[in-house]
Amino acid sequence: MKKPDKSLQKDPYDLSYFKIMIVDDSQFIANLMASALRAMGVGKVLVARDLAEAKRMLLTYNAVASSQNIDVAIVDWLMPEGDGSELILWARQHKSDSIKFMPTIVCSAYTSTDVVEKARDCGSTEAMVKPVSAQKLANRILYVIDHPRPFIEAPSFFGPERRRKVERFVGEERRQTKKSDVEEDHEQLE
Amino acid sequence: MSNSNKLDKIKIWHRLNRLKLKAGASLDDDAPGYINPQAVRKAQAEIDDQEENYYREIEAILVRLDSTWDDIQGEQDEKKRKIMIRELLNYANNIKDIALTYKYELMGYFGDSLCRFCEKIDPTREAHRAIIQAHLDVIGVTFQTHIKDNIGQQAEELKGLLRKAIEQHS
Repeated sequence: MKKPDKSLQKDPYDLSYFKIMIVDDSQFIANLMASALRAMGVGKVLVARDLAEAKRMLLTYNAVASSQNIDVAIVDWLMPEGDGSELILWARQHKSDSIKFMPTIVCSAYTSTDVVEKARDCGSTEAMVKPVSAQKLANRILYVIDHPRPFIEAPSFFGPERRRKVERFVGEERRQTKKSDVEEDHEQLE
Repeated sequence: MSNSNKLDKIKIWHRLNRLKLKAGASLDDDAPGYINPQAVRKAQAEIDDQEENYYREIEAILVRLDSTWDDIQGEQDEKKRKIMIRELLNYANNIKDIALTYKYELMGYFGDSLCRFCEKIDPTREAHRAIIQAHLDVIGVTFQTHIKDNIGQQAEELKGLLRKAIEQHS
């Protein structure tokens, strides 16, 4: 277990104001994650059993920006009526900023990089490989808090920047967009 | 949705890190945060405590798995069959998830194998039906005999049986 050291913040994160939505058709796994998150100090955990219920919850809590918004969605990749990408694509195309910019963590029992790449390409913020453990959940949530990436709006993509490295990219530059074709929006504190 | 390397306009949104604020840190604090290790241990204990429900959960899924497989074999409509195969895949995935959470490695192994096979199954082919049935059989035996590890004589025998069935019918 990673212990806090001098380079970390003085106090642990307070998750008591966080609202996290779990989308998983397995009631057992969803409840497992929910109880683990509550034990970790997450203030409110919502469980949606399918994509339709998840969409309803997002429309209820995130239609307008407020302190009641769902902060993070943890979405199972494989569900009976479709995969998690459907929900993430729906969210990323939504008109409400509180839905389209919401961080998402895709969960999958498949260890293949294929799922991770698909999740990234549909606009997911993070991916977590099952089986579930408290440390994995904590790590993913920490990553979402500590390493937010800018969102990219391109003709065929909307979602967090897919390159994670902070350092300058080394390798063949395949991006062909000129600087003049890039518009940047810096959100300011109100 | 594919990667975009087009010569079109791109907009980059730099959002405020609301989560960091909500977690009690300030926006200009670059130091990474942490979650109270004691809370993480407590969370893991919550997960571990649920292991007592493992057999009840797996049994419930196995009932649904068997029933769905029966339905698939009796279904003539290809569209409906596809939906049912997706259900089968999902149940297999649930088995894998739950089994591996509690280190029931052999059950996880068979759940994973069934998941992968469900992605390419054609239930009209007798050979494919035999392979699914072989999966259901070894999963059933693993459940009944409470074998946990993926190694050992019994585990190897069951894996060998499944391997043989797959080779014979592929």
